[in-house]
Amino acid sequence: MLLTMKVAFRNILRQKKRSFLLAGAIAFGMLVITLMNALTGGVVGNIRENFSHALGGHIFIMGREWTDAGQMIMKIRPDERLEQLLEEHGAQIEGFTRRSQAMPTMIFGSRQTMQMLYGVDFAEETKLLESLIVTEGSFSEIGTEEASIILPQPVGERLGVQVGETMIIRLETLTGQQNVGEVKVVAFIKDQEELGLSAAYTSRSYLNTLLGMDPHEYQLLNMFLTDLDMVDEFARVFREGLRAEDEEEEVVEAEPAVSVTVAGMPMDPMTEREELTPWEGTRYQIMHINQIMEAVELVVGVLNRVGQVIFLILLVVTMVGITNTFRMIMIERTKEIGTMRAFGMHQKQVKNIFLWEAVFLGLLGCIAGLFLALVISFIVGGIELNTDPSMQFFLDNGKITFIFSLTKVVFNTAIVVFISLLAAYWPARAAAKMSPIKALSSHT
Amino acid sequence: MGIVELENVKKVYTLGKAEVHAVRGVTFSIEKGDFASIVGPSGSGKSTILNLIGCIDQPTDGIVSINGTVTDGLKDKALTRLRHETLGFIFQSFNLIPVLNVYENIEFPLLLGKDKRSKKEIREWIEFLVEAVGLGDHMHHKSNELSGGQRQRVAIARALATKPEIVLADEPTANLDSKTGQSIIELMKKMNAELNTTFIFSTHDRTIMDIADHVIQLLDGLVVEDTKRSAKVGNLS
Ligand SMILES: Nc1ncnc2c1ncn2[C@@H]1O[C@H](COP(=O)(O)OP(=O)(O)OP(=O)(O)O)[C@@H](O)[C@H]1O
Ligand SMILES: [Mg+2]
Repeated sequence: MLLTMKVAFRNILRQKKRSFLLAGAIAFGMLVITLMNALTGGVVGNIRENFSHALGGHIFIMGREWTDAGQMIMKIRPDERLEQLLEEHGAQIEGFTRRSQAMPTMIFGSRQTMQMLYGVDFAEETKLLESLIVTEGSFSEIGTEEASIILPQPVGERLGVQVGETMIIRLETLTGQQNVGEVKVVAFIKDQEELGLSAAYTSRSYLNTLLGMDPHEYQLLNMFLTDLDMVDEFARVFREGLRAEDEEEEVVEAEPAVSVTVAGMPMDPMTEREELTPWEGTRYQIMHINQIMEAVELVVGVLNRVGQVIFLILLVVTMVGITNTFRMIMIERTKEIGTMRAFGMHQKQVKNIFLWEAVFLGLLGCIAGLFLALVISFIVGGIELNTDPSMQFFLDNGKITFIFSLTKVVFNTAIVVFISLLAAYWPARAAAKMSPIKALSSHT
Repeated sequence: MGIVELENVKKVYTLGKAEVHAVRGVTFSIEKGDFASIVGPSGSGKSTILNLIGCIDQPTDGIVSINGTVTDGLKDKALTRLRHETLGFIFQSFNLIPVLNVYENIEFPLLLGKDKRSKKEIREWIEFLVEAVGLGDHMHHKSNELSGGQRQRVAIARALATKPEIVLADEPTANLDSKTGQSIIELMKKMNAELNTTFIFSTHDRTIMDIADHVIQLLDGLVVEDTKRSAKVGNLS
C-alpha cells in the first residue's frame, strides 16, 4: 500500500508539465464551482441579514380581530399566552419589538408626503435609539414629550420642516376614520432608504391614540433570534402556542413567499386568499424570515445546480484527458511495469499505482482550486463596491461575501476523486493485465 | 535434484501464421550455488530459456521446475509469488525504477511482500548490499545520476534484496563496455560465493563466459554443450 502510494505520488512529479495541465483543469473546475457556491452562499446570507434588518426581525407575529361592525383590524392586546411564550424562550430571543405602524400623510405648510411611521415603546426598545444616526437635533426629549417624532433627514428636507417645529400627520384609524395629530420634530436621522428602511418613529402610546388603540396594545411583534437555525422551530412553537381552540391549522408554508412585501412591513398573504368568517377574540399569524428566503433560496438553488452541471461537464472533459494521458503513461512505463511484475508485484498493486496516481492528481487539483478560490474571494471580498443601491441588498456593507461550505467542498472533492478514478480505471486495468514477458520485451 | 530443472522444454511462438520454434526440447539441470552461464549466438534461445526459468513465460511443452515447484499450470498470482520468493532479476538495460533512489530501488522487492525481519534489520541488510556493490556514497542518488556500471550494481543489489535462491541475468553486460562488464560479472561472482545464491546469466562474450563454473551452450534452440567445472573457481584475477 505505502509502496504503491509512494511510487504513484512520485510518478505525478515525473512529467510535471503533463500533471500540471491535468491538475490545472481540475483546479479550474474546482475554482469555478467553489467560488460560485461561496458567492451564492454569501448572497443568501446577506439577503437574509438585510431582510431581517429591513423587516426588523426574524419572526413576525400579527394579531387580527373583528370589530362589532364586522371589520377585521390588526392589533395585539396584552395576552398572557404570548407573554408566557416570550418569557419561556427568552434565552433564544436576542431582542423583540412591539410596535404599531401607520402610513400617514405628513403635512407641513403647503407640502406633504406619505411616510412609514412606527410607534415604538422607547423604554422597551433601548437599542433602537443607539442604532439610529442623528444628523440634527437629539433624542433627549423623546421620553418626556409624547407627541414627538424622529424623521429621516430627506423627509424633513422634502417637507421643509426644521427640528423643533411642529407638523401635522393625517392617518386612518384602525376602523377607517380619518384622524389628525400634531407632532414636534425632535431629530433628523440618517436615511437608510437603500434597505427599504425609510421610517419615522414616534412613541407607541401616541400613535395608538391616533389609531384608536389602547396604549398597551400594538400591531406587530418582531423577534430577533440568537440562532437563525431556530427560526422554523420557533415559528412552530409560537404558532402552536397561540392557536385558538377552534382555529384550523394554518398552511402557511405553502404560501408563495414572494408575495410578501419587503419594504415597510410584511404583508399578510392570507387576506387576499379567502373570505374569512369572523371569529371571537384575537387570532395570530406567525410569519418568519425563512418563508421569504425560500424564494431566494430557490433561485440560488437553481444557480447552484447550473454551476454543478457546468462543473460536471468540465470534469467529464478532464476525464477524457486523464484517460488518454494514462493510456500514454501506461505505454511509456511498460518496461517499468514488467520489471515490477518480475520482482513479484501483483496485478492489483500495478493497478493501484495508477489509481493512486489519479487520486493524487485529483486531490492536488482540488487543493489548488480551493486555494485559488480562497485567494480570489479574499481579494474580491475586500473591495468595497459602489454599486447601485438595489445591489446593496446582496452585499454586506458594500462588499461581496463568500461563504465556503465544508460539505459542498468535501462533496465536490469526492466527485473529482471519483471521476479521476473512473478515468484512470481502464488504463490501470490494462496495465495490470499486461503479461510480464510482453512488458519486459517492450522497447519503450 | 537441481534447483532449476528443465525437461524436454519447448517454446513455440506464433507470429501470425508462422511458427517460431525458439526452444526445441531442452533438458538440463542447475545445482544450488552454481554460477551458470547460458551462451549461444543471437536467436539461439537464451532469453527465452531465462524467461521460462524466471516464471515470466510458460513453456509450450516440457517441464520447468524451480526450487522444486513445477511451474506448469500455475496462475498469475502463484507465479508472481514464486518469483517474489525465489527469484531475483538483473536486466540488460538495468531497469531501475526511475522515481526511486538507490536505496529505495534495492528496498523495492522487499516492500512487495511481508518480511518477518524488523525495520532495523532490513535497513542494515540493504545498507550491507549497497556497500557490497560499492555504492555506499550513492545511497540517495536517483538512477539517472548514475553511470551504466553503477546502475547495474544497484540492479545486482536489488536482485539479492529478498535473498532469493536464484538470480537471473539476461546479458547483464551487453550495455556496458568490456571492462565494466567484466567487473559486473566479478561482482556477481563475489555475491554468488558470499551468499551461495545461484546465478544464471546469458552472454555471448567469451571472456565473461569463462568465469562461469557451469556453461550451457545453445544453438538453434537446442543444448549443444553442457559443461560443469568441478572446482568452482573462475579467473578472479
Ligand atoms: N515474442 C516472440 N515472438 C516471436 N518470436 C520470438 C519472440 N521472442 C523470441 N522470438 C524468437 O525466438 C528465437 C529465440 O529468441 P531469443 O530472444 O530467446 O534469442 P537470444 O538467444 O536471446 O538472442 P539474442 O542474443 O539476440 O538476445 C528467435 O528466433 C526470436 O526471433
Ligand atoms: Mg536475448
